[in-house]
Amino acid sequence: MRRVCQGDLGGLAALFERYHRPLYQYFVHLSGNRDLSQDLVQDVFFRILKYRDTFQPDASFTAWMYQIARNTHTDSLRKRRFEVIPGGADAKEIEMPSHDEAPEDRIGRKQEVKLLRKALDRLPPEKREVLILSRYQNLKYEEIAEILDCEVNTVKVRVYRAVQALSQIYFQMANEKAG
Amino acid sequence: MTCEEARGYFVDVWRGDMDETAERAFQTHLHSCETCRREVESLRSVWEGLGAVPRPEPDAGLRTDFYSSLREWQRRDSERKRPLWWVRHPAVQGIAAAVVLAAGIGIGRLTLGHDEGKLADLQREVNDMRQMVALSLLQQQSASDRLKGVSWTYRVEQSDIEVQDALLHTLKTDPNENVRLAAVDALRKFSRSPETRAGLVQALETQRSPIVQVAIIDELVDLGDKSSIRTMNGLLQEPELNPSVRKRVQWAVGQLQ
Repeated sequence: MRRVCQGDLGGLAALFERYHRPLYQYFVHLSGNRDLSQDLVQDVFFRILKYRDTFQPDASFTAWMYQIARNTHTDSLRKRRFEVIPGGADAKEIEMPSHDEAPEDRIGRKQEVKLLRKALDRLPPEKREVLILSRYQNLKYEEIAEILDCEVNTVKVRVYRAVQALSQIYFQMANEKAG
Repeated sequence: MTCEEARGYFVDVWRGDMDETAERAFQTHLHSCETCRREVESLRSVWEGLGAVPRPEPDAGLRTDFYSSLREWQRRDSERKRPLWWVRHPAVQGIAAAVVLAAGIGIGRLTLGHDEGKLADLQREVNDMRQMVALSLLQQQSASDRLKGVSWTYRVEQSDIEVQDALLHTLKTDPNENVRLAAVDALRKFSRSPETRAGLVQALETQRSPIVQVAIIDELVDLGDKSSIRTMNGLLQEPELNPSVRKRVQWAVGQLQ
C-alpha cells in the first residue's frame, strides 16, 4: 500500500493478487451473487486508488480495505434498491469440496453443509457479516472491531450471538427436514 | 468465572485464541457448569461446520478486467502528472529556454522578411529536441525516468523512426513491466508503420508478463493485424500459458479471423 500511496499504481497489482479472492468470497457470502461480487471487487480496488490519500500508514490496511468493501456493498444495495436474496441460483453453483470419506458419510456430510449454508443465508445481514469476517476472512478481533466501529469485546459477543442464532436456524431446518 | 463471562470466551475457544490463564479459568468453569459445557460443544459443531462450506472462486475474467482497468488508471495518472514534472524537470527547463530562444530568433528573422522555410526549420528543431529528451530519458536507470521518456514520445512526430525503434527496443528489453506496458500504449501512435506491427508480434512471442501480453494482444486486435494470428495460435500451444492470457488470445483470434 505504501507504493500505491507514493504514486506507484503498479503496487495495486500486488494488493489485488493478495486480496481479490477473500474479497470476492466476502461479497458472495453477503450478496449470493457471483457477477455482482466480481464487479464489487473491481470497485473496491478503484476506491483504494481514489481514496489512497486517506489511508494512515500506521493503520491496518486490511481493516481499511474491508471498510471500503462494506461501503461498496452498501452503495450497491442502495443503487439496486432491493436486496438480493442470498442462496439463489448463484449460490447453488458453488461446488462442494471432495472428502476422503465413505460415500454414505460424504452424502450425509454434503447435506449437512448444504443445510448450514442455507441457514447462513437466512441469518440477518449484520449477524451474517460478523460471522463471515471472523470465520472466513481470518481477521483479528481488533481489525473486525475497527471495521464495524465497535469494541473488541462487542465483536466477541456479536460473533457468539451470530453462531447461536445460526445454530437455532440450522437445527430448526434440520428438524423440519426430518419431520 | 460466571456463565456470562464464560460465553465471552466461546469464540476464543473455537478460534484457538486463548491465553493459558483464561483457558484454566474457563476449563474450571466448564467442569462445574453443564449448561455451558453443552452449549460450547453444540455451537462448536456449527462453527466447525462453517469451515466446510465451500468457498467460491472468482473466474479468470476478474483478473483480466482488473489489469485492463489498472492500465487505464496508470495512463490517466501519468497524463495527470505530466504537467507537474514537466515544469520541474531540468531537461525540460533547458529545452523550454532553448525553444523560447529559438522562437525569438525565428520571429526576429521572420519579421525581418526571411522566407517561411525558416518557420519549418524552427518546428523541426523543436521536434529534434523533443526526440532528444525522449531518447535520453528512455536510457535512464530509473524506471520512473524511463516512464517519463515514454510519455515524451507522444510529443514527437509520427514519422520519427528513431523514437519508434527506441519504443520497440524498450518493449522487448526493459526489465520493468510498467515501462513495457507504457511502451505498448505509446506504440499506438506508430501503428501505421509495418515495423511497429511486426515488432509488436515479435514482442508477443517473447513476453512472459501476462499484463503486457494482454496489452499487446488488445492492441493487435485494435489494429486488425491478421498476421499475428499465427503467433497467437503458437501461444495457445504453450501448456504453461497463463489462463487469463489464453482466454484473451482465444478471444483475439476469434476477432481477427
